Amino acid sequence: MMAWRWMVPLFLLGIIAEVAVRASPEVNDSQQQIPNNGYTDLGSTRQKIVTAQFECYQKIIKDTDVRAGLMCNRTWDGWLCWDDTDIGVTAHQQCPDHFHDFDPAETATKVCMDNGHWFMHPESNRTWTNYTTCNAHSKESRMTALNLFYLALIGHGLSLVSLFISLGIFFHFKSLSCQRITLHKNLFISFILNSIITIIWLTGVANNQELVQRNPTSCKVSQFIHLYLFGCNYFWMLCEGIYLHTLIVVAVFAQKQHLIWYYLLGWGFPLLPTTIHAVARSYYYDDNCWISSNTSLLYIIHGPICAALLVNLFFLLNIVRVLITKLKVTHQAESSLYMKAVRATLILVPLLGIQFILLPYKPSERVLTEIYDYVMNILMHYQGLLVATIFCFFNGEVQSVLRRHWNQYRMQFGNAMAHSEALRSTSYTASSITEVQGCYSIDGHSEHLNGKSCLDAEKCENSFN
Amino acid sequence: MKPIVLSFFFCCCLLLTVTPSVDSAKLNLSKVLKRSIGLQRTKRDLSSLFALREAEPGQFVRPDDVRDTLLPHSSTGTGVRTKRSKNSVNQSRRSGCSLGTCTVHDLAHRLHQLNNKLKVSSAPIDKISPLGYGRRRRSVPSRQMKLEMQGGHLQPVWRLHKLEALLRRT
Repeated sequence: MMAWRWMVPLFLLGIIAEVAVRASPEVNDSQQQIPNNGYTDLGSTRQKIVTAQFECYQKIIKDTDVRAGLMCNRTWDGWLCWDDTDIGVTAHQQCPDHFHDFDPAETATKVCMDNGHWFMHPESNRTWTNYTTCNAHSKESRMTALNLFYLALIGHGLSLVSLFISLGIFFHFKSLSCQRITLHKNLFISFILNSIITIIWLTGVANNQELVQRNPTSCKVSQFIHLYLFGCNYFWMLCEGIYLHTLIVVAVFAQKQHLIWYYLLGWGFPLLPTTIHAVARSYYYDDNCWISSNTSLLYIIHGPICAALLVNLFFLLNIVRVLITKLKVTHQAESSLYMKAVRATLILVPLLGIQFILLPYKPSERVLTEIYDYVMNILMHYQGLLVATIFCFFNGEVQSVLRRHWNQYRMQFGNAMAHSEALRSTSYTASSITEVQGCYSIDGHSEHLNGKSCLDAEKCENSFN
Repeated sequence: MKPIVLSFFFCCCLLLTVTPSVDSAKLNLSKVLKRSIGLQRTKRDLSSLFALREAEPGQFVRPDDVRDTLLPHSSTGTGVRTKRSKNSVNQSRRSGCSLGTCTVHDLAHRLHQLNNKLKVSSAPIDKISPLGYGRRRRSVPSRQMKLEMQGGHLQPVWRLHKLEALLRRT
């Protein structure tokens, strides 16, 4: 019941965001004239170069602190502004984003020669900046971006379908409801909302040049909601971690936990970094629709998320440690013991979001970056699907409830023999994974505390042995 | 009840210890505070950039802009401005979030740049070639004083003919 009270406003929030973004293209048509404001063939490129040059000359004139020694003078080379550089040093800068095929992730270089002059190209005998890397891989990089976009859309689509089915199961079968499932429900809802807003953001804003150009408040609001729901998702993973850890490590004998704290942490806390980010962004980096990822202000959002994931990593390690000690007591064969521990770890990793901690930093090398991008995007956008699959479809309790209901249904109508065979075979392959559910009921002690969640205590024990 | 409060407290402690170390890597808070004035300048420049866009076509840099920002002893504090170069728009180091969870913003940003149809589609090859960009620095434009009619009054105005011409030509 408590869950519903929280969920309704959040669904509304998602709907509002959708309406806000959907509504904007209509307004758009009436204000189309802004982008084509007379910059005929060159569009914004010329304007960008002119602005950069203007700023560069401002800088050249204003900067009066003269440094000692021989060095290459600060200069405007036609596209970029170069600072005073010591001799023998190669200056690096991000490629300018003046042109469509220039990749800002690449770097342009300018060499300061030993004689205090900038590098002259031997062919032309003119001072020369190396911009060749800027568009060398632009085609591949564009392909990658599009692939990642489609990957993300497919991932979120699949996640949404599986999460909706899981939530339907959780809400329909009241016999399943217990604290753990309540937490799962909330996590799933945060996944759903995050998927919806991410799809809206990627298709409706990032792909809508006119909207970003117009920069309405609604798109900043939707970015705010996007970041909030993004945070909620990770903080619900933290909640799952805290719950599991409390259940298994801290308080094996404790009574029911109070879920209000989880709700506060999961739905309430992410508002704090999101609000701080919004305020900071509007003061210091107020770009159109706040779409740029080139600002360190994003650490306001991702710092706490990263910290939450680190805490989860600690919880995971502690849980696995306890699991191994408890398993050792039962005098099992070493190999099966470690297999169980490894399996439990692997299954808990997507639930707790550990994968993002294991690959924390983006490499700077081009090929590595591409691989990293693919891996990260797949992990991120398919996590909902993975979590729904493991914690609902492969869950022993859910399967037994479904099977029971299916049998009832079959007895009522006295047919559909063929289908049950198929169901049994899928449940058999899945049952090997259900034993991680034993994480929740490590030993006999937890039976009474987990009594409600486990339909029959016997099953809990079986699943663990 | 008690364990959950305890563990939440523990989490907060961990959060507090971890967050600064994560953030300090890139977002040196004190630096940010120190820079805030400079950043506000950048923000103002951004807004002036948008003002530029709305200016009539062909006139990218209004004479007022040139006069206001290039005059060394204009009314707004020049002491602040000399520090601008330290945090110019074109920074050599890669800025932005490089944590794993930031990939979704990176993707949105990349898609946004990909779809920017207002930009010229491809860079001119001749300017990347050996004959292309990388000219030597031109001499700093000289200033001239001129009397101009402004709002019915005759006023002395600093003019930068050379620079203006140069800016228009680019």
